Amino acid sequence: MNNLTIHSGETFEQVFLNEPSVDLHIVQEAGSHVKIHVLNWRADGSNDAQATNRIAVEQQGEGCSTEIYALAYLNGQQQVTTETRVTHAVGGGTSDQLIKFVLDEESKGRFVGELKIEQDAQKVEAHQTNRNILLSETAEMRTQPQLEIYADDVKATHGASTGQLDDTALFYMQQRGIGAQKARQLLVGAFIKDVLVTIGEDNNALRERLLNAVDGIIE
Amino acid sequence: MRICNFCSTFAAAFDQTTMSNLLEIHNLHASIGGKEILKGVDLTIREGEVHAIMGPNGAGKSTLSAVLTGNPAYEVTEGTVLLHGKDLLSMEPEIRAREGVFLSFQYPVEIPGVSMVNFMRTAVNEKRAYEGKPALSAKYFLALMREKNKLVEMADKLNNRSVNEGFSGGEKKKNEIFQMAMLEPCLSILDETDSGLDIDALRIVAEGVNRLKTPQNASIVITHYQRLLDYIVPDFVHVLADGKIVKTGDKTLALELEKTGYDFLNE
Repeated sequence: MNNLTIHSGETFEQVFLNEPSVDLHIVQEAGSHVKIHVLNWRADGSNDAQATNRIAVEQQGEGCSTEIYALAYLNGQQQVTTETRVTHAVGGGTSDQLIKFVLDEESKGRFVGELKIEQDAQKVEAHQTNRNILLSETAEMRTQPQLEIYADDVKATHGASTGQLDDTALFYMQQRGIGAQKARQLLVGAFIKDVLVTIGEDNNALRERLLNAVDGIIE
Repeated sequence: MRICNFCSTFAAAFDQTTMSNLLEIHNLHASIGGKEILKGVDLTIREGEVHAIMGPNGAGKSTLSAVLTGNPAYEVTEGTVLLHGKDLLSMEPEIRAREGVFLSFQYPVEIPGVSMVNFMRTAVNEKRAYEGKPALSAKYFLALMREKNKLVEMADKLNNRSVNEGFSGGEKKKNEIFQMAMLEPCLSILDETDSGLDIDALRIVAEGVNRLKTPQNASIVITHYQRLLDYIVPDFVHVLADGKIVKTGDKTLALELEKTGYDFLNE
């Protein structure tokens, strides 16, 4: 496990691409910023690759921001587990989590998302979103959002959904002459890019490479 | 000058049955979830014609458009449909589209994350590939989009937005006609294109449709109200009721229906 402290006013930004294991424990001091991307990308992995991502972030100072983005795009018998634990120990901070899985063939995904807002952590704004698409009948997704909110004056939202590609959108695209396979690829590409575009300026080259890779899947 | 009777009769018959027949629907039956909606529709459409289909709610108007475009929710149980003499019902939805069948959706679908440019370029180039033509260059394509935007007074900034996402009701319907202009179909089906449009948007949409009319293409205009037919003047008006065409007339039938309603169906 990696223990990190992000000091007052500092920014920590990192993209983890296809790591078999990410294990982070981060403490944030007042006014610090954390932005993490964890990407598990099937194109670079072997058929039965497994990965576990554990990311725990504690806001111990006021006015912190935390952003966690996780994307797993899997096929074969690949398995990815992503666990996040965001703790607002003091008030005035924000946290945003966007977790997406695209699961094809017999791949499996698991998301456990703990969000804790302690009693004294007023005026916190915390959002957790988990969206998953199953591209086959044999793919499997388990999702467990866990919210513990002890403060009164906070804004907290969470949402989790697992489904298939939108049939009405597929038909609409086919009606315009777009082949069924291409239409699926366009929809999956849009779903994935939504996460990739949040990769920051410091990782411009990587973001562009990944966006192009998605287009490569589409072309 | 004398013309051989046989030849002229033959030529006329030939002309009517094959040459200019764009769409031939024979005894079409279709159901959804086991419930029969279309109960034997017959309709022939020739090049250059505009056919209006009117009728009460639940008559099967939208089912007809869904079946012609291959919506997988519906099952065809009997009958044939020929497009330019080809068996339409055996084709996948995208093949029907590439063969020139276009549906202006009653409820255009939002596709978050897929830009209009990307969507339209994919659609146009897939059709061109099907026709054995090379893909259009990006530069030429953008110019073409802007030109067609003007046809329906659609702001070209919408080209960079996701398909229909956050579009107003009027913008969505203009976008349908814009897509029709880009794809140049031989058969356009306008399904309740007038619903939810104010009079200005209705005029713009209808003018767009009229400008796309050629002697070679045809339209089916599905509508509840006479109003749209003031702008898009039909050659034929059909009344669809309980899954069948029960009455056919010229444009005056629409005016008559506006006055009398569909009560005659119950007589």
